[in-house]
Amino acid sequence: MNRLQKLPRLTLLCSLLLVGLSAPLGAAEKAPQGLHLRIGTILASNESEDFDPKLSRMKNQLEVIKYSSYRLIKEEVQKVQWRVNAVFEVPGGRSLVILPQEYRNQRLALKVRLLQGDKPLVDTTVRLRNRGYFLLGGPAHEGGVLILSIFAMTP
Amino acid sequence: MTMDCESVRRTLGAWLDGEVSEKESREIRAHVEACPSCRAERSRLERLQFVLRAALKEGASKVTFESFWHGIERRISQGRVRHREFWDWLRPVILPRRLAWAIPVTVVCVLAVLFAEQFFFGLGWGPRSNVAAVESIDGHGFNLALLRESETKTTVIWLFEDEEEDEPAPEAASTDASL
Repeated sequence: MNRLQKLPRLTLLCSLLLVGLSAPLGAAEKAPQGLHLRIGTILASNESEDFDPKLSRMKNQLEVIKYSSYRLIKEEVQKVQWRVNAVFEVPGGRSLVILPQEYRNQRLALKVRLLQGDKPLVDTTVRLRNRGYFLLGGPAHEGGVLILSIFAMTP
Repeated sequence: MTMDCESVRRTLGAWLDGEVSEKESREIRAHVEACPSCRAERSRLERLQFVLRAALKEGASKVTFESFWHGIERRISQGRVRHREFWDWLRPVILPRRLAWAIPVTVVCVLAVLFAEQFFFGLGWGPRSNVAAVESIDGHGFNLALLRESETKTTVIWLFEDEEEDEPAPEAASTDASL
């Protein structure tokens, strides 16, 4: 009987604990505090048949671009704030400037600029699903071309 | 409506056992009293019933029910023991205290499964979706190609730098891309 009396109290306590734990998760979904950007710099060429094992999870996506060799030469992760520019150095004196603009309907809007020194090469605005990514490629580098994988997610 | 012999004989046994309706019983009785052959059939059935009852009575008196009741009692007591054993086994599982924790533990497990992917982001888990919508694009004088591959849902923005310095354009970009 004593145990039966304790049952509602225990259940209530556990429920409150759960609500307390799950509240930050729900809040994060509604108003994410900044976001993570992960920029992978890949060198694609036709000089060999090598495929970097670090890129195995992107193999199907990279095969869309018909090169025979893919190598991850740099990867950088930054936690950035909304409406604040994040700068990523890209080999060959280039830089990638990303401005996270907004988060709406589970989608992130990013303004992405690729620069060669101070000279702009590409200026684009892309809307991604949370944890989505796209590829920006084409700049020549060391006998091949650079492909930048731009991945974004809210914390 | 009067009954014919055939239908009376078909229900005669039930009538003798008192299993027909009152109206049907009256009709059968009227027919049997008026019909000699059906009356004879009734007498035959009544004799048969009498003989059977007498035989059953005589046989039943010889049956000893003592061992039969012992068997029933034994089975009842065995049933109680099994029931008690089952309850003893089940009770620790459904103790109120444990049951109280089982509910939130189940909820925590479900939440853990749902959010596991998010927690493992740093451990190299792949992205969930690579669908991207390009809202605007400017090449600042350079040629650009926008490639969308439907199977892998890959979006690629391809920059063509100066022709003299360029690598050959990728096959997919040159054939499937849209600017």
